[in-house]
Amino acid sequence: MISWASLLTILGMMAVTYFTRLIGFFALRNRTLSKRAAAVADAAPGCVLIAVIAPYFVSDKPSELIALALTVFAASRWGMLPTVLVGVVSAGVLGHLMK
Amino acid sequence: MNVSDSPVAEFKRGIKECLPVTIGLLPFALILGVQGSQQGISWLEMMLMTGLNFAGGSEFAAVGLWADPLPVLLIIAVTLMINTRHILMGAALTPYLKGLPLKKVLPALFFMTDESWALSLADINKRKKSGEQPFSLAYYIGVSLTVYFVWFPFAGIGAAVGPQFGDVAAWGFGMAFPAVFLVLLRSLWKGFSAALPWLVSFLTAIVVYVNIDGAWYVPAGALAGLLATYIQVGKS
Repeated sequence: MISWASLLTILGMMAVTYFTRLIGFFALRNRTLSKRAAAVADAAPGCVLIAVIAPYFVSDKPSELIALALTVFAASRWGMLPTVLVGVVSAGVLGHLMK
Repeated sequence: MNVSDSPVAEFKRGIKECLPVTIGLLPFALILGVQGSQQGISWLEMMLMTGLNFAGGSEFAAVGLWADPLPVLLIIAVTLMINTRHILMGAALTPYLKGLPLKKVLPALFFMTDESWALSLADINKRKKSGEQPFSLAYYIGVSLTVYFVWFPFAGIGAAVGPQFGDVAAWGFGMAFPAVFLVLLRSLWKGFSAALPWLVSFLTAIVVYVNIDGAWYVPAGALAGLLATYIQVGKS
């Protein structure tokens, strides 16, 4: 069911991933940030979020780009659930229509 | 302190606000499991990976690299690379975690994902505006455990049922992920000037994504945006 090699791989993945989760905290917890550093830390969430979803904006499928545009529109006006529904339904429907 | 501030109520609020997110997570977990089974990963291995590592992007990469013989070090190195964004995410949460004992911080950070981190950051901003104590640990735990108990069981189910679920991606569920992130971005919106670094992040990420294989676009885009903020704040 599980080999030593895959167990070792999974434990290694766990170790490095947990390390990435801890290190930001341990590097900063005993420091008071300068105004500039605080501004940078404040900008981090938005910068990470937009970098993670950037590939969706260069999709090679027109149906996905249109669905994404509708999702951006929805996100600028409505809350989480309606926006997710607009995204999923438009991507699903347009994906089938424009296949 | 009013009733709505009790840990149980906050925990439940976390679960509730995370539910739309699970619409996107659940099919992703199934897809991951199905892809894993096609690479010869058993459901037990899949559940161990998703339960112990618990970082979806790196798990998709690991499944893509899975082979016989297993490239153990390569998969671990790629996992580290993809998850470097956690360093920034943890750093951003640190001001709010500082006051808590380590025995709470260490497990809380184990469960930090894009979703729980982003929802909590958005919640922190909302609570700041209304003058409440910014970080709600119980809310964060509610979100985190919801993500956790959707992610690893459904990845296991995907691995167990195998190819019968092959076409989940075609149903549009993939769009749930950017939808969630876009709503979170709007909640972080503080005007065009503050969003300029986002544009730098976005454009850098796209250039790197188009030209370089792997998940380098995430750290590259994020760091470019931070550099832009650093320059912007220095000038003003």
